[in-house]
Amino acid sequence: MKKLAYAAVLAALALPAWAEDDITVGFAIAQSGWMEAYDTPAVTAARIRIEEINASGGLLGRQIAWVEADTKTDRDQSARAGLQVIDEGADMMVVSCDYDFGAPAALSAEAQGMVSFFLCAEDVKAGIQGVGPNAFSGSVLAAVQGATMAEWSHATREARTGYVLLDTTIEYNKGICTGFDWMFPTLDGTEIVGRDTFKNGDASIASQITRIKALEQEPDVIMLCSYIPGAASAVRQIRAAGINSLILNGSAVDGSYWLDAAPNLSGFAVPVQGSIYGDDPRPEVEAFNAAYEAATGARPASQYAYPGYVLIDLWAKAVERAGTLDGAAVTAELEQMQNEPTAFGPRTFTSELHHQNSAEMQIVEITDGSPAVVGSWTISQPVPLDVLLR
Amino acid sequence: MTNFAQLFFDAASLGGLYAMAALGIALIFGVMNLVNFAHGEYIAFCVFALIVPSTDAVAVMFLGRAPAVLLVPLILVIGGMIAVASEYAVFRHLRNADPVAMMISSFALGFVIRNVLLATYGGRPKAISLWPELNTPVQIAGASVPLLQVIVILTTLLVVAALAFLLKKTRLGLEMRAAAENFTMARLLGVRANVVITGAFALSGALAAAVALIMATQTGVADVRMGGQIMLVAFIATVIGGLGSLPGAVAAGFLIGGVSVLLQAFLPLEARPFRDAFLYTLVIACLLLRPQGLFVPASAKPRV
Amino acid sequence: MASKHQENRFAAYSTPIILAAILLALVLLVVAFGDKALARTAAETLIRVTLVVGLWIFVGNSGVISFGHAGYMAVGAYCSAWFTLRPQMKSLFLPDLPGWLLEAQWPVLPAAIAAGLLAAAVALLSGAAILRLSGIAASIATFAFLAIINTVYSNWEGVTGATSSVVGLPRYVDHWVALAWAVTAILAANIYANSASGLALRATREDEVAARASGINMYRHRLLSLVISGFFTGVSGALLGHSIGVLNPDSFYLGITFISLAMLVVGGIGSLSGAVIGVIVLSTVIELLVRAEQGFAIGSAEFALPSGSQEILIGLIMVLVLILRPSGLSAGREFKLRLKLPHKTLANEQIPSNRGEIK
Repeated sequence: MKKLAYAAVLAALALPAWAEDDITVGFAIAQSGWMEAYDTPAVTAARIRIEEINASGGLLGRQIAWVEADTKTDRDQSARAGLQVIDEGADMMVVSCDYDFGAPAALSAEAQGMVSFFLCAEDVKAGIQGVGPNAFSGSVLAAVQGATMAEWSHATREARTGYVLLDTTIEYNKGICTGFDWMFPTLDGTEIVGRDTFKNGDASIASQITRIKALEQEPDVIMLCSYIPGAASAVRQIRAAGINSLILNGSAVDGSYWLDAAPNLSGFAVPVQGSIYGDDPRPEVEAFNAAYEAATGARPASQYAYPGYVLIDLWAKAVERAGTLDGAAVTAELEQMQNEPTAFGPRTFTSELHHQNSAEMQIVEITDGSPAVVGSWTISQPVPLDVLLR
Repeated sequence: MTNFAQLFFDAASLGGLYAMAALGIALIFGVMNLVNFAHGEYIAFCVFALIVPSTDAVAVMFLGRAPAVLLVPLILVIGGMIAVASEYAVFRHLRNADPVAMMISSFALGFVIRNVLLATYGGRPKAISLWPELNTPVQIAGASVPLLQVIVILTTLLVVAALAFLLKKTRLGLEMRAAAENFTMARLLGVRANVVITGAFALSGALAAAVALIMATQTGVADVRMGGQIMLVAFIATVIGGLGSLPGAVAAGFLIGGVSVLLQAFLPLEARPFRDAFLYTLVIACLLLRPQGLFVPASAKPRV
Repeated sequence: MASKHQENRFAAYSTPIILAAILLALVLLVVAFGDKALARTAAETLIRVTLVVGLWIFVGNSGVISFGHAGYMAVGAYCSAWFTLRPQMKSLFLPDLPGWLLEAQWPVLPAAIAAGLLAAAVALLSGAAILRLSGIAASIATFAFLAIINTVYSNWEGVTGATSSVVGLPRYVDHWVALAWAVTAILAANIYANSASGLALRATREDEVAARASGINMYRHRLLSLVISGFFTGVSGALLGHSIGVLNPDSFYLGITFISLAMLVVGGIGSLSGAVIGVIVLSTVIELLVRAEQGFAIGSAEFALPSGSQEILIGLIMVLVLILRPSGLSAGREFKLRLKLPHKTLANEQIPSNRGEIK
């Protein structure tokens, strides 16, 4: 896959006229640095969708080609990568997963009036609010994930007391906790019995655990708002201390690759856009997993491949409807999408929000160290904009 | 939050970890005035040595599969080896350079190690199942303490005792202390400079390896950035303790760990995210009160 | 004797002219290529020149290594954002700013100057405490200062947006703006270094005790140089913010601290020319390696370095330079113009080194 893309870039460099008739998608993404691990699966998924479209006759009767530039997990380099793919003739831009590392490139796209998509940003800023009117994200807002876990645990696990443990390192974590804090207290008979904070790189969270253990009664759920590696380390230490509450987290810890950190883990649940474990109720999801395995030799390591597939799918539909690649026209079509069906559930964009403020999510629970889908949940009301901007 | 025994164990185990890292930095500073910013990368390197090199998401244990009796000495040796290798490849050629040039080269070396790890293992943090049973809590003095915390505290004490023995009772130790006092003079008096420096690097690397084993067991993850935070704290501890003073480094390591845990425990929720700001303000205050550090080695007194 | 003195003065003041000419030539070269990505690289390099020259004003003259300058950058960057963001954006994302600041929407130049002034004020306050220390204790204290700034800016929700990025900064900084500031910084650095205070401070760098015995108030000169240094560092932070368009406290932490120090030390900490050369050389090498990663052609064959090798190679190159030239590329020398034939070969400002000269 990588080699193929690489060959494409070389070809684009060597023969600028080669792309004359093709539509060009510009990827300004991390190919090195720590962000690479998150970007590459989503980019691979995006390419799978591009190849599917090309195989079925292309877009507006033209084939889709792509160019790539490496952001090196660096903000300066990201802005440069954005300009580079513009120089190479991109018609739309796909930028890094994380808002901070994607935005400098997306801003360059915005300056050209070009549509840009974040691979999997879940902060409301990765759209109109933080980039401009033509920026979108392919993923589901962090606050939705937190709210989903609140409502699901209340409805199906009789969660009445909750404890909020927030890792203050990045904005994503705060988004999860914002969603939980918005939803959980509105539910019947619930109470948040305590809160604490830590940092992802803390060598030990012993004193945070001591505080949980000092509660008179173990909370029903612990809303852990964190990401790997801090989240894995926190779960290991919480379970080691003998705390058996149901632990909730956001999609960021989906995947079984980290489970060795907390052997025989049980009672840990996360919301996902689709299941990587082969038990998703929707056959399209498993079809994608198979296509991904065929392309890379391995199944997706986490759900973060899926948004890449979804965003190309939605963008291509909007281009088809607009009949042009013009940024403003494509944006207008995207904003018309109301519960637009995709392989991973319906998606909606409005002129106010280029994100999903409500989404059908699969709940994956880990029992005895093995993850499985235990249900599906859509929050009863979308997360309002003022909560998202809080 | 009234369980002081619990608080004591939390503080002592974090402090012990910092103390060991600080010792590793102080040892090298003592013999060659080098602030070794690559120390954090030695730690990360040792953690990653536990798993098979691959960019796959799922980590496969490599050295980590060996039984503890073999694994512990093996990792300590690996830590020592990377430290000695870096001395041989880089710092040996900089002996007469300005301390600033040495410091920046150590940073550059750390940058190289970190990026080699990134390229070999990928950017995704890996899970490591190393001795999970050590996290089982035991009851001591009314506190429920993970076995590992006890082990950390005991290990720190053991390491400090062993180092003290080494420095006081062996020829290498004597030479190291002499070198730390006044390196040029020691050389003139027949101290074997290369042996002393290599020895200090080997010990420092082994200490990094010990920290790596503890962190891997405690957190269950391997991440290229994991050594950075602890290295900085250790660096500060080394200075607060009095640069070149080994007991000072240990004491300051425990002090910083203790203060950090106390702040986390007693700050109100709104102020807790600012924990590190309070911690570092105390660091500045401490430096202003005792600019030469808590324990001033004789060599640090200005000679006019 | 007087004419010899004047000759030396002229030589000393010719340094910034030569450096400015080098930077201008670089920009003209880049403009001639007409490549957007390359123009951006030039702008970034010039912002780094402003930063490293700002850093040099303190570090180069006092000999105290500062890890805290990224903190002044953060102060400057956020300050410029407070003054230039649209008011409705601020009331949405930074609601706790004082009322007058919420309303303010200044043009970019006064905002950049305000950014520098605030950073200078913070430098004055922090320096007043930290510079009572010297040597490594002072360096650690500057690091503690950086950690404090980073923690506060990462958590002060209503004023800095905490870990959530500040967005909507006008991206006005192109290579010309950056060039103007870089040249200003170089001029200021040269004027300060040749002022009475600068000379006194360098005397303390060479021999603290002797300088004190000669009646030099080291504390005051250090503080003055830190304030000037803080100003330009603050401005460079503002420029960086307005070049990326998004601010996050994470941009102003260990990464930038070490890369700026590395550029300074590789170039040669002892001279202003060294600071500028360090930035230009390392930035150029990084850019070449990045291009090499993307692939290049020799004859008909295509070569490319694997992704991620740029970081490894640049680290190795820095180590190699320091091993071969421990006092940096410039080894403490300045670029100078001589009116007449010099009586000595080159004016040395630091320990003479026999390892070669850059001119």
